[in-house]
Amino acid sequence: MNDNAVTNFHPGLDLITEFAAGSLPLAQSACVSLHINHCCHCQQTAGQLADLGANLFEAQEPVPVDDTLLHAVLARLDEEKPLEYANKKSTEKGTPAILQRLMRGDFSDLSWKNIGATLRISYLKTGDPDHEVALYHIRAGGRIPQHTHRGTEMTLVLEGGFSDANGSYHKGDFLVRQADDVHAPTALQSEDCICLAVLDAPLKFTDWKFRWMNPFLKLRTN
Amino acid sequence: MLSVKNSSDGQGGSPVDHTGKRTDEWSECLTLIAQHEDRAAFTRLFRHFAPLMKAFALSGSTLSANHADELVQEVMLKVWQKAGAFNADKAAASTWIYTIARNCRTDLYRRLQKFDTPLSAEDVSESQDSEEAFMLLHQKRSRDRIRTLIKDLPPEQAHILTKVYMAGKTHSEVAADLDLPLGTVKSRVRLALQKLEIQLER
Repeated sequence: MNDNAVTNFHPGLDLITEFAAGSLPLAQSACVSLHINHCCHCQQTAGQLADLGANLFEAQEPVPVDDTLLHAVLARLDEEKPLEYANKKSTEKGTPAILQRLMRGDFSDLSWKNIGATLRISYLKTGDPDHEVALYHIRAGGRIPQHTHRGTEMTLVLEGGFSDANGSYHKGDFLVRQADDVHAPTALQSEDCICLAVLDAPLKFTDWKFRWMNPFLKLRTN
Repeated sequence: MLSVKNSSDGQGGSPVDHTGKRTDEWSECLTLIAQHEDRAAFTRLFRHFAPLMKAFALSGSTLSANHADELVQEVMLKVWQKAGAFNADKAAASTWIYTIARNCRTDLYRRLQKFDTPLSAEDVSESQDSEEAFMLLHQKRSRDRIRTLIKDLPPEQAHILTKVYMAGKTHSEVAADLDLPLGTVKSRVRLALQKLEIQLER
């Protein structure tokens, strides 16, 4: 994801606004930022929305700050700087830094849970108590059993691509599905597909072969 | 309410030029800090921004005055330490500082809620490293435009934007707070952004 490719599916303006205002829950903002850092168009919009934030920030009624606070900060200026954060850019392998941090390694180091022959899922720990974050790995040409959502699902395509009744999605594309959208995504024939999914409520399989799993699908936030 | 002030509050010591280009003054301060560890420049910056940071900290409403002061300290220290990373060609000083304040406030909220996470707000923040001259020019124009147009926003739209940004609430939380339907909040935000000519670039 180090190439700034043009993607076709983006977060809406309200999501980018919440992202820029810093109000999105952690897991969702991670997903949105993975898209934004990949998409120069959304990057530009996010930049404008941050400028808007700065204007609102400067237009606030200032609240007096005691001089002791200034002196306290001045006294701390000689403190050693903390080590700079690890480089935010992707590694040579092209895995975005956010994901690396969440995976604590690479795709191959993760523990995967097989669901049927073509789908495996690996849950990531973000610390966000209200959202499940998982990687979905679908074999080339494989289909995810038809399912619906009880809440909101954000999906970001990391590798390969998939299609459903509404379109076909490629690396960097960002999708939001609301409760009651039923779909059965199928990976492209040419390569395996890896997606990041952020859920605020568990999935619900509607495909009869998989319905037995529903009672076991709890939201895994940690 | 949204009177964007363009000159210093008249207190001595701030070399504001007469065209009122405050943003340039703050860029200069950041550069002085980065290059010369200039404490006088830092103090100027502090006197202007710390009271805004405190207002920002308190408008989230869940922070106590002590935590607000702690946040001001943390943000100002970060401004000092990271000034070398500021690039006046790429970002306005106020946006750069606001972004640090926003990220620190989010991290403080999460610390207070005992979040155990490997990600900081900065990790999932927008990257500001576009290099293209065209993009930079475009961004500069939109920045000037927003600064001008924001003064003419109808009060209820300005109010909603302030809620969204300064209180750091999601659209649904703002709706609940103001007892408005979510659709109304969303459409007011949308209208405001339209007036500011902020749109999806596709």
